[in-house]
Amino acid sequence: MTTLPQRIRTRAQETPDRIAMREKNYGLWDEITWADYWERSSLVGHALLALGVEVGDRVAVHSENRCEWLFSDIGITAVRAGTVGLYPTNPAPEVLHVLRDSGSCVLIAEDQEQVDQYLEIADELPDLRTVVYIDPRGIHDRYTDERLMSWDAFLALGEQHRTEHPDAVTERLEAARPDDLATLVYTSGTTGPPKGAMLSMDNVEFVIETLQSGGAFVDPPASDRDLVVSYLPLCHVAERVFTTWFNAAVGSQVNFAESIETVQQALREVQPTLLFGVPRIWEKIAAGVHIRMSGASWFKRKNFEFWMKRAEWIGRTLVENQGNHTASTKAVYAIGWLCLYRPLRERLGLAKVRYAASGAAPIAPEVLEFFMGIGIPMHEVYGMTENSAIATANMAGRVKVGTVGEPQVGAEVRIDDETGEILTRHRGTFVGYWNNPEATARTIDADGWLHTGDVGEWVDGSHIKITDRIKDIIITAGGKNISPSEIENSLKSSPYIKEAIVIGDRRKYLTALIGIELDTVGNWAQERKLGFTTYRDLSQKPEVIALVQSIVDETNRKFASVETIKRFAMLPKELDHEEGELTATQKIKRSAINERFAEAIEGLYSDSSQEVKA
Amino acid sequence: MSQPVVSVRGVELSFSGVKALQGVDFDVFDNELFAVIGPNGAGKTSIFNVLSGVYRPQQGSVEFAGSDIRGMRPHRIANLGMARTFQNIELFENLDVVDNLMLGRHAHLGYGWPAAVAWLGKAKRAEVANRRRVEEIIDFLEIEGYRQLPVGMLPYGIQKRIELGRALAMEPKLLLLDEPVAGMNGEETEDMARFILDIRNELHIPMILVEHDMGLVMDLADRVMAMDFGKPVATGTPHEVQSHPDVIRAYLGPVDDATLAEVQGELA
Repeated sequence: MTTLPQRIRTRAQETPDRIAMREKNYGLWDEITWADYWERSSLVGHALLALGVEVGDRVAVHSENRCEWLFSDIGITAVRAGTVGLYPTNPAPEVLHVLRDSGSCVLIAEDQEQVDQYLEIADELPDLRTVVYIDPRGIHDRYTDERLMSWDAFLALGEQHRTEHPDAVTERLEAARPDDLATLVYTSGTTGPPKGAMLSMDNVEFVIETLQSGGAFVDPPASDRDLVVSYLPLCHVAERVFTTWFNAAVGSQVNFAESIETVQQALREVQPTLLFGVPRIWEKIAAGVHIRMSGASWFKRKNFEFWMKRAEWIGRTLVENQGNHTASTKAVYAIGWLCLYRPLRERLGLAKVRYAASGAAPIAPEVLEFFMGIGIPMHEVYGMTENSAIATANMAGRVKVGTVGEPQVGAEVRIDDETGEILTRHRGTFVGYWNNPEATARTIDADGWLHTGDVGEWVDGSHIKITDRIKDIIITAGGKNISPSEIENSLKSSPYIKEAIVIGDRRKYLTALIGIELDTVGNWAQERKLGFTTYRDLSQKPEVIALVQSIVDETNRKFASVETIKRFAMLPKELDHEEGELTATQKIKRSAINERFAEAIEGLYSDSSQEVKA
Repeated sequence: MSQPVVSVRGVELSFSGVKALQGVDFDVFDNELFAVIGPNGAGKTSIFNVLSGVYRPQQGSVEFAGSDIRGMRPHRIANLGMARTFQNIELFENLDVVDNLMLGRHAHLGYGWPAAVAWLGKAKRAEVANRRRVEEIIDFLEIEGYRQLPVGMLPYGIQKRIELGRALAMEPKLLLLDEPVAGMNGEETEDMARFILDIRNELHIPMILVEHDMGLVMDLADRVMAMDFGKPVATGTPHEVQSHPDVIRAYLGPVDDATLAEVQGELA
């Protein structure tokens, strides 16, 4: 069989001078060819051999997205070790958990911040022998921990090893087996500590073949003319697909921004053709457009308003037509393209996007419509770490909004008759959870079906609609099953609402905790000359509560009476990963929220004299 | 220790009879972070103004990089390699970040206006080299996201960072920082502290720091000089100066020995 690192080597041999990736440094885009990519990855491989890394060992990478992440990933897998990715935002206790649980023997850390974090917990990590730091600033000459090694010294070690054992990496590379561990992906479970999902070389190969054959996401299939901006955490399986695996499969070019703060600018400069985002990103882009427009000149604003009305109509029509244009939407879009859509898309860095995808969490239909209306072909896709991100996708021309699409070619998908749970089966089904056979047994059944934990239903017999996480389904005191995320997403489709948590399990009626979007509500308040100091202050303003009430009322009209929000409370702060309220991927940890805001929640159900808001 | 970068001896400065500085002596050495502390009106900023040539002291000597700079015009002192930031931000609000930093490269232009107009050879090469240097500073201070934005639009903490960047763009031999964290929140202060440490450790530029944030001074400075009513009362390591009786008196007013011992105990 072929493996991921072998594919990189082949590309380096066949097209050594083509550009594999670009990275912006000192304001200029530096190009990295396929030959460079393989050269540096194999040096990483040699260095790891010099450090005594054995087949099946784990090597951790803790860094923002940058080319060294890819060099490391390929170098690690080339010597048949497994890559363990850490979120750059992981707080120290979670870093400790992942490093200790995985038993990583080498850590490749980005900079001083990560090294400091490691030093805090170094005593509890006996297996960790070496820590390589990529950016030496603030570290070299100052830190004396003998386990530390600079990236340059690391590569020099590889070079020395290569001189002494020129074929060592190649030998490992050729001996690779399909069941070799390729990576441990720690899934940020909304309950309990993260579990390491084992993906094998063969799992990865399945994804790469799916991407290559065009059976997957993109139509026409992705090629080496496609451009990608890599910006979501690479330890997450979705970004691994769009950055590393697409690149290895078809040779699409990866672009790395200078830092997470400059992604928007990088999008504008690169104008990618394929773009994956989580709903939060798409929502933010859409909200940003509206904020910027509210400060524009009168003429610009009128032009924007006029063409956004048309865009809404185009978006709606496209949605009704499974993503296909009609003659009239085509004509209107053509004029709108000259007046608004082209410059707007260029500003957003989306001018050349021919395929955009949203996944990892449900997206509000309004947001999908917004992007489709301005001409960006958006597709909701579905997958999870445990099935190597391959399950269902909306295909071009067969889009059904509100669904996550059709089963991908080569993937079996069914819905359990009793529980309604979505089950998948294919070659990409993960091997199991690291050191956790019980959890594995709960997830993969005897017939090899993966239990996703998502409840769904078929739409028109072809597409799947996800109703909720199986654990999150609310059963009211009246015995009615309610899916909170549908209501939450409807609330969150308002640009003013960032978080909505619907509560009501074993209660008489539904209530919600609401967190405002600071940017948009702040802007809204300023326009009304409402002064405010902090997030808390702003969210408690009577005017803001009234604004939220109107959004809640609007949502309530869309749902049956038992599914309406009777009362709500404002969150006094922004939810935060570090305080355990969100997972690393910004998903809500319901148990933590219920605990932290217990008092506020009880207040919503106390029989005070205060009238219950209908 | 090697030759001092700056050597101040017996400096006296008065404004129509008001003595702003009296008998100020200190040296700052290579790679040193030297802090000046003291209550309001102690003369800290006056020291900066004497060093950078804004005021001419009536007496004493000020030596910098081997030259006597007492009474020298500010722009000539700047050309010798002394850069400063200000208590109140002094940037060009309508220029973008890159242009503000490029202004800091003024002393390194190396060409005159005819070359600039012709835009040939030397001028172009120098501009490219200077732009590269500015990019290194942008990277150093992590302000990539603000490059093309007018400075006046940026948050206060970022403006402070850009002012520091402009001073660094001069590639100074000595950097004067006038209250670099005044008015900043906790996170901004932490960032600035890290940049100051990195300037010393990575760029090896000696600094003189005037600061009210005592925690910052005690954490960062190699040596501290405490001032009161225009006179230095103690110079030494942060710890020595902190527990010096005269320094405690300067901040707390006249105190008896028991209170003094108590405060020293608290500080120890």
